[in-house]
Amino acid sequence: MAPVVVYLRTMAVFALVWWAAALLTGNPMLLPDPLRVARAVVDVAVDGELLAHAAISVVRLTASLAIAAAVTVPLGLAMGTSRTLERVVDPIVEILRPISGIAWIPLALFIFGVGHGLPIFIMAYTAAFPLLLGTIAGAKNVDRRLVDAARVMGLDRAAIMRRVVIPAALPSLLVSLRLGVASGWTAVIAAELVGAPNGLGYAISWYREMLVTPKVIAFIAMVGVSGYLYDLALRRLNDWLTPWAVDTGARL
Amino acid sequence: MTIEISNVTKWFALPDGSEAQALADTSFSVADGEFVVIVGPSGCGKTTILNMMAGLIMPTAGAITIDGRPIDGPGIDRGVMFQDYALFPWRSVEGNVGFALEHGPAGAAMDEAARARRITATIALVGLKGSEHKYPHQLSGGMRQRVAFARLLAYGPKVLLMDEPLAALDAQTRTILQEELLRVWGQALPAAERRTVVFITHAIDEAVFLADRIIVMGNGPGHVRDIVAVDLPRPRGDATRVDPRFQELVQKIWSQIKNEAYRAATA
Amino acid sequence: MGGLLIPLALPAVLVASWQALGEAFGGVRMPLPSRVVVEGVALFASGELPSAMLQSLGRVFSGFLIAAVLAIPLGILMGTVRVVERNLDPLVESFRPVAAIALLPMAILWLGTGTPAAVMLVAYAAFFPILVNTIAGAKSVDRNLVNAAATMGLAPRAILRNVILPGAVPQIAVGLRVGLGIAWTAIVAAELAVGAKSGGGGSGGIGQMMFVFYAYSIELSRIVVCMAAVGVVSLTLDWLVRRGTRRLLKWKAT
Repeated sequence: MAPVVVYLRTMAVFALVWWAAALLTGNPMLLPDPLRVARAVVDVAVDGELLAHAAISVVRLTASLAIAAAVTVPLGLAMGTSRTLERVVDPIVEILRPISGIAWIPLALFIFGVGHGLPIFIMAYTAAFPLLLGTIAGAKNVDRRLVDAARVMGLDRAAIMRRVVIPAALPSLLVSLRLGVASGWTAVIAAELVGAPNGLGYAISWYREMLVTPKVIAFIAMVGVSGYLYDLALRRLNDWLTPWAVDTGARL
Repeated sequence: MTIEISNVTKWFALPDGSEAQALADTSFSVADGEFVVIVGPSGCGKTTILNMMAGLIMPTAGAITIDGRPIDGPGIDRGVMFQDYALFPWRSVEGNVGFALEHGPAGAAMDEAARARRITATIALVGLKGSEHKYPHQLSGGMRQRVAFARLLAYGPKVLLMDEPLAALDAQTRTILQEELLRVWGQALPAAERRTVVFITHAIDEAVFLADRIIVMGNGPGHVRDIVAVDLPRPRGDATRVDPRFQELVQKIWSQIKNEAYRAATA
Repeated sequence: MGGLLIPLALPAVLVASWQALGEAFGGVRMPLPSRVVVEGVALFASGELPSAMLQSLGRVFSGFLIAAVLAIPLGILMGTVRVVERNLDPLVESFRPVAAIALLPMAILWLGTGTPAAVMLVAYAAFFPILVNTIAGAKSVDRNLVNAAATMGLAPRAILRNVILPGAVPQIAVGLRVGLGIAWTAIVAAELAVGAKSGGGGSGGIGQMMFVFYAYSIELSRIVVCMAAVGVVSLTLDWLVRRGTRRLLKWKAT
């Protein structure tokens, strides 16, 4: 049976169970039935809110990923190839890593206030660690023999970095990018729930305060859909950039 | 326990949708207490036939019966020694040997003490006394093979199906274990007390050393080329290997397989 | 001595600069390393920090336990019986990308701003990593081991319990580690968000304490103390899981 059919069948069963639960609780504010939620989805889709907030969150995520990557990829490559640099920087990394991006929110609120800066800082910070560690591991795992072969062929350090290390580390880097996205996406929503004037997290919180539960659920679903699509896009990017890498089916 | 393989054909579905024929109209029988060895080049369906006797896969056409009853699944009357031993890595030697007794129907009628005695005796029988508490990753290839064998002996299936059990060992260990295998099987015992063994190997000298009868199989698709009776006296040992009759039999079988093996090696 | 010098160099430099620049340019609320230490001791001694940490930890362990009890059997089943996996997978894959924190407003709606909502969120967050890894673990069990058990006469349920489950343990352990880490992050996030929304009241726990310090305290060094506590707990939990599962994994070849 085709996957699509199985998907629809399972979701149909789920919708039925949901409906039954909604009927039992009898409180549309607490648990609206699927139809109400579907209508809410249509409402916020049609008036553009759904896409607008999603776009904002996605743009924030992308911006922070770019920032995180701009800092961590060069740093990671350098740390992966220079033992001294790694020994110097690693302690700071190990001290900061257990402190989740979320825990930075109060301090960051103090520094940035409410606005665009806060979510981007939190997300960039959160994504930075998986990205950094993945890049270091990728650089370290570059087969020594490839590097030696390049040196024998007369390439200098910069060329080796560009032609050997980076392509070899790329698969690992892209996998850690996906990991960074997963935790970064969570950080988006959290940061927006607390201190942003727009975005999916904000919308969820706003509609809950307004007690329009169907729309809350609509935006929650959008969080899931957007997250899934973003990961899908990254997987396509992964395949396109590194066709030689085997997909281990790594899931997060 | 007599096993009857009658006109068995097996087709496998390939990932791309097409089908490959592993076996074509294969027939032979295995008598009670017999040590039968199947030899043949790679791809002749040896493992497939063994797995069917074990009840792990079903023939596409034809029938396999044991004592007249068709085989419809795995059972404790047919024990299997897999190519890579399939030892449970999280259990010690003792834990592996006792697995069937602890968790399967074979040990249901035994109490704890009886089980423990059986386990200890079997471990001693295969020469692993002292290693009861070791884990598979701490054992050498030869030791793992003994554990796998002990695991079968502990619950005592009437039929032993062995898929190239000695293939991963070095030549010296292999030679030693061939004799060990015959000893434990009971080559010194009267025929009536021996278990039925179906053994797969690539090595022709191994086949001739161990077998009562050899089923020589061929490729394209798998089929029985010849059945050779090994009339060397038991018990067998080092003397057997220098017996001229031994070499005769090896050459006879090799000449049958040679062309196919050559083709496979240069394909 | 030299071996210790390099690792400590950068942190020492950063801390020193922070102290110096903070004293020179920061306002009266500026957190400083010196004040962080002082406040840290005070908060510990007064019992505020330990009790907040215990409250958060209690929620984490409850939620984590619920998640594990649900995810491991389901994961074993899904990893072994293809039909179950195929039919449940759409549900799992649809909910997995929904970060637990997005459900916080719903959780509050249903269960209020206290511990039950927090536990529910933690359980939801930890559920998916444990499930996904358990499925992978069950699938990774060598088919021959299952076959061997079948030839020894074991019924399917016995095979699940005595072959698949033990074989999946290494991967389950990975799932538990990841899940616990995510659970801890989730609780801090949830407490923070609730604290922010309810103006500092209600939820308790370290996340809320952090927000309260931000909103109501002049002494922001306290926030940094909380952050350090979050980091220390995170490391400790990870260490605990690794120690705990190490004994279970002694059969693995190093």
